[in-house]
Amino acid sequence: MNTIEDQKILKGIAEGDEVVITTFYKKNMPYIRRYIVKNSGAEVDVEDVFQDALVFLYQKIKEGSIELHSSLSTYFYGVCKNIWRNRLRKNMKMVVTEDVLDETEVIDPEVIREITKKEQEHVYRKHFLNLTDTCKQVLNLLFQGNSMKEIADQTGYSEGYTRKKKFECKQHLLEMIEKDPMYRELKETIEKK
Amino acid sequence: MERTPALFEKIEDYLAGSLSKEEAIAFEEEMALNASLSEEVEKHRMMHEVLMDRDTLDFKNKLKQISKQIKEEDKLMVKKKTPVFFFKIAASIVCLLGAGSVLWYSMNTEKQTQDLYGAYYAPFPVEDNTRGESSDEVQGIISHYTKGIYDSVVFALEKYPSLRKQEPLSLYLGNSYLNTNQEEKAILEFKSVDNKKYHEVAQWYLSLAYLKLNKTTKVEELLIEIIGYDGTYKNRATELLKMLEEQ
Repeated sequence: MNTIEDQKILKGIAEGDEVVITTFYKKNMPYIRRYIVKNSGAEVDVEDVFQDALVFLYQKIKEGSIELHSSLSTYFYGVCKNIWRNRLRKNMKMVVTEDVLDETEVIDPEVIREITKKEQEHVYRKHFLNLTDTCKQVLNLLFQGNSMKEIADQTGYSEGYTRKKKFECKQHLLEMIEKDPMYRELKETIEKK
Repeated sequence: MERTPALFEKIEDYLAGSLSKEEAIAFEEEMALNASLSEEVEKHRMMHEVLMDRDTLDFKNKLKQISKQIKEEDKLMVKKKTPVFFFKIAASIVCLLGAGSVLWYSMNTEKQTQDLYGAYYAPFPVEDNTRGESSDEVQGIISHYTKGIYDSVVFALEKYPSLRKQEPLSLYLGNSYLNTNQEEKAILEFKSVDNKKYHEVAQWYLSLAYLKLNKTTKVEELLIEIIGYDGTYKNRATELLKMLEEQ
């Protein structure tokens, strides 16, 4: 069921092709919205799940580890459903309506484990992207392994200011992550294990 | 644990492997004795590992932009549609010139309200901690509720009035009333919930019960209260209120 059309979409996603991604987004979002809203979710949940599933798909394509035994959309719905089920379980909102997506998705248990593992990563990325441009610039350079002096040279800030900014931005990012209910739930789940 | 620039730099040096062998060993010993330090180091490790992947970050950022763009397009579509929509209503009123037209409009509004109810209503989920405990009667009620056999839930809980006073059983009963078209009873049931833990959820279902009855003023009042409560249902209440205002 892995058609030439699916191959084109996978290639477009890997290359970050905006036309391909926008088309995929518009085509599949209504199905995912129906499923999540039917199962105790809000619009903000729909967006988060849809984007996190696409990021997951992107990483799998880049790693070359995606194995499609069905159509791409069936696989994608499976990923979305598993992400949402995980979040519902953590929120103790247990009733899940199964009849919304009419196709049956069979997702490899290993992929389900990977989805769970990546939940924390989504939280880190989401809050990083909400930082100010200055914070993103300084932290991006830090995460690429640059020293304070190199960051100062590239941004034009003084070394002292760069050091101060780096601390403030990291501290703010950690605080936002810690306040995120999803992070707290994941942390509790990990601690229980 | 107090976060300081010095602490962050020590952690960064440790993660980058730039501490001397002795310093690294001393730091690891400190972590072994101090759980909050160890936890802090893990957070930094995760932060560096996840955010050094620029490709994925850029992709996620692209998705945010695409989503924003789609929403803007949708808004434009709605704006374009709105004058035509109101023109149609006005034209119909002019043509029909009478009670029939008013009836048509109110039925249309009611249909929209019912559509909103359909989109936002989902039965209150069975809580995990109510599954494993308590009597056979309660287990039976929960089992019927989970399977959607709502008339049985109503029958059982009306038969055992003492049980219905226990939350979340009263919420299951309220939801069962909603699913068996007994909205007035559902309203009384949700109003009777006085446990603080379930206050917000009871208010949410109360607002949906009023929505089902097309009592939009009541719905709006309750939604504003839920938004002010700033809890689990805030986002849903905000969206629903917006949809009602746009009707």
